[in-house]
Amino acid sequence: MTPNFCELFLTSPHFGLKVNKKKIISNNPVENPEKWVDLYGDYLYRFALYRVYEATVAEDLVQETFLAALGSFKNFQYRSSIKTWLTGILKHKITDHFRKQAKEQQLDDIEPNMNKLEALFDQNGHWKIKPANWNADPQKLYDQKEFIEVLHNCLRELPRRQASAFILREIVGENTKEICKILDVSTTNCWVLLHRARMYLRRCLEINWFTNLNVRESI
Amino acid sequence: MKHWMFNCKKVTRLLSESLDRNLPLYQRMGMRIHLMMCKFCSRYKEQLLFLRKTARLYSESSEDSDLSIQLSPEVGKRIKESMVRFLEKHE
Repeated sequence: MTPNFCELFLTSPHFGLKVNKKKIISNNPVENPEKWVDLYGDYLYRFALYRVYEATVAEDLVQETFLAALGSFKNFQYRSSIKTWLTGILKHKITDHFRKQAKEQQLDDIEPNMNKLEALFDQNGHWKIKPANWNADPQKLYDQKEFIEVLHNCLRELPRRQASAFILREIVGENTKEICKILDVSTTNCWVLLHRARMYLRRCLEINWFTNLNVRESI
Repeated sequence: MKHWMFNCKKVTRLLSESLDRNLPLYQRMGMRIHLMMCKFCSRYKEQLLFLRKTARLYSESSEDSDLSIQLSPEVGKRIKESMVRFLEKHE
């Protein structure tokens, strides 16, 4: 075969069509849904678990994602990778989960950690329990498994609505306007939720990580 | 401290809000003056930024950080079965 002929053959519509068809069949979940769970199930599960912290919830979200993907596969245009497409669906499912969870909860539930936060200040609003000097590099800490575990536990301890607000804002990257809508709270309330979540997380990390490391409070 | 100045409790609230919206000028100024004088609120500010950076790292790498976290085989099977049922219903 001369190079010219080779080129002609490769670019011929017939050849292109054949390759395309083959690709669609092998990736098509309608033909082989099991394959998808094997390929992307673990990845999606980790993605979900790191945002909702409950294994059963994360499992259900992954299942819902795959079913939704089957339902809308017709519209998938191969403009993004299948993994990205599935992750996009999962992100919507996670937001829906926060929305549903917020609906099921009374607003009073946001207060259980208030006493702990109030105790940080005296009656004049000055620090009673002063923030310690952490002296920490996020990247270095992030590479430590134990630190991530402590962070997870702290997130789990937060009242649901505060945790949702924090995750939506800092991990999902939503703006406050959108978060207010999802959690069905006023804008002011949203800022309060975020403020308390941050204050609690900061304190929780200080107690469970930085104090254990004997970081001395240099006053 | 004089009564018209912001106290630490208020400054912590404003520091958090400043991560989510643009504060009015007088609040920004009040906060800045307080931070110049208060070591602990300055630390608090640093620590809020630390939280934000950590959360960013978290969102960028969470799916790949701990590969030992996997769907259990039972759940995988359950999901596959539900997909097969879904396809049968919609065929």
